[in-house]
Amino acid sequence: MRYNSLTRRRFLVAAVTFSGVATGATLLGASRAWAQGSAGPDAAMTRLARLMFPHDGVPNEVYADILDDALGATAADGAFADTLDAAAAALPADFTALDEAAQVEALRAVQEEAFFGGILFAVRLRLYNHPAVWAVLNYEGPSWQRGGYLNRGAGEIDWLPEAD
Amino acid sequence: MATQYAMNDGSVVVVIGSGAGGGTLSNELAQKGIDVVCLEAGGRLRFEDIENDPGLMHGRMGWNDERIGAPVWLCKTVGGTTVRWTAITPRFQAHEFRARSTYGALDGTTLIDWPLTLDELEPYYDRAEAKIGITGTHEMPPSFESANYKVLKAGGQKLGYREITSTRTAINSIAYDGRPACQQIGFCMSGCRIGAKWSTLYTEVPKAEATGHFELRTGAMVVKINHDDTGKVTGVVYRDAGGNLREQKARAVAVAGNVIETTRLLLNSATARFPEGLANSSGHLGRNYMRHVTSLVYARMPGEVHFERGPRQAGLIMDERFHTPQRGFAGGYYLEAASTSPDDLSGAIAGWGREYADHMEHYSHMAGIFVTGEDPPQATNRIVLHPEKTDQYGLPVPVLEYAMHENSLAMQRHANERSEALYGSLGGKLLAKTDGVGVACHNMGVARMSDDPADGVTNRWGQTHDIPNLFVSDGSVFTSSAAANPTLTIVSLAIRQADHIAERMSRREL
Repeated sequence: MRYNSLTRRRFLVAAVTFSGVATGATLLGASRAWAQGSAGPDAAMTRLARLMFPHDGVPNEVYADILDDALGATAADGAFADTLDAAAAALPADFTALDEAAQVEALRAVQEEAFFGGILFAVRLRLYNHPAVWAVLNYEGPSWQRGGYLNRGAGEIDWLPEAD
Repeated sequence: MATQYAMNDGSVVVVIGSGAGGGTLSNELAQKGIDVVCLEAGGRLRFEDIENDPGLMHGRMGWNDERIGAPVWLCKTVGGTTVRWTAITPRFQAHEFRARSTYGALDGTTLIDWPLTLDELEPYYDRAEAKIGITGTHEMPPSFESANYKVLKAGGQKLGYREITSTRTAINSIAYDGRPACQQIGFCMSGCRIGAKWSTLYTEVPKAEATGHFELRTGAMVVKINHDDTGKVTGVVYRDAGGNLREQKARAVAVAGNVIETTRLLLNSATARFPEGLANSSGHLGRNYMRHVTSLVYARMPGEVHFERGPRQAGLIMDERFHTPQRGFAGGYYLEAASTSPDDLSGAIAGWGREYADHMEHYSHMAGIFVTGEDPPQATNRIVLHPEKTDQYGLPVPVLEYAMHENSLAMQRHANERSEALYGSLGGKLLAKTDGVGVACHNMGVARMSDDPADGVTNRWGQTHDIPNLFVSDGSVFTSSAAANPTLTIVSLAIRQADHIAERMSRREL
């Protein structure tokens, strides 16, 4: 229930700030206003998203931003908010206080649940299409503006065995 | 001033669709001085509309109307799926035109032989390859060797494969036909921003327009083909960009809407005279739907590959294309170098957590293969109309019913094992493969060519058995799928069909 009520209140802000791929700290800060001072489930859900796809080079704001976007995308029927509510209800009350191994253990216990798959799908789709994550993957994204890769590494490979 | 034809001008040939089949047929007819009206449901992209953004471009050019069943990748845009395709273009092999004779009946399939042979199609393959500019044919040099291809080649050599080639690709390796050489941009499936990849959008369509014998109407969704009391088609009804129903008269109609939409249109055009749909006296319309045996294989290699730095596909291993029953299945397949973006890759790899994230952080180490192999026809694999649901045009929603034949499953297992062995020979670890029906596919069948009108919908020219001035001009006419990617054969058949239509017209038979 908590996510449902939160969603409706903050949806307008989230929808505006995630309209593009902008990931500036200012925009993120604005869209994350809801989370400040609510260290409970919001922090837990952000942590959950990170544990699913833990990239140390990706800041927490990106994971939170992605949850925001998923909430905004289903704001009309509150579907993703319901999913987060189910997750929050299923995780231990002290989830955020646990160490990583214990947190992963808690997730393994619920990984067959529908909410887990729902969050996994929603986060994965957005995370790996996020320019802030591409840098961590050593992926440069759109290339035509720079003349493709013809003169920027195309065909280069240095570890293959010589042909027999 | 662009050519315009009157709606009541019944002297024109109406071509429905502007992709590999419809775009090519239109231009070939217009070059002969035959007047053509091409009706395209989608809009017309300019190069500046094409961005390196798969999600954005899916919205701009994808066919996103409601459809039920297995996923397909149709395009609603001028150029059709030639805007999105990955441009691998092997020819069919001689035995693949004699599928039934070569493979036997194969339980559960409806295999028959094609009513034409490789010998007959070869001159048209030659013309298609020259038109398109296929690497390794005519004056077009082999494709640039991407790192992903080099991995495929090195692993293939370890396995003893001998026919490993960076040819057979419809992407310019040198400037050709007013289009530049490939710059290794890597977003082929979002449309080629520079036009190095062949698409009818910027080849056949503008060439047809330049003849003065061609009019393209965009945003024109054909809803019905009309016929007269003698059973000949007389014109087509379409909803124009403003939503108004219009009728264009025609002396002949060629349908090239890609398998699903071609089926839907012919079924929707049913009348008292043709109660099961136009040209469906055989009952085969919509049946024998084939998708190819496919698999997307990704492996993590011991060093960097950066497979995004090059075309989505370039280069292939051809050794497995033969019919070698000792492998445990009929027909053959190709192993084709393939790459993808991080978001797409993330959906292919299963799991979550630290190990998963570590794989993704080694995106630059990935190598990939797309398997394409022969998929036999089955009567139960078919496209039908939903009994109640309709789309925004008021047309019944298409339903795809498809299950893989055991022959296809055996071939897929074999191809996956070979792919894993190939990467394993270089120290790579397989992370993803397709088991069963995949998202990647080629649409074929549903209005297949046959000599006997009881066995199929069209004859050896793609002319329907039932209606002499109604033609099918896309992959729907494939009698069997063969192993090869279908577009080169669609283009070759369209060139051949244009010659046939022109000849029939000159004899006043159309």
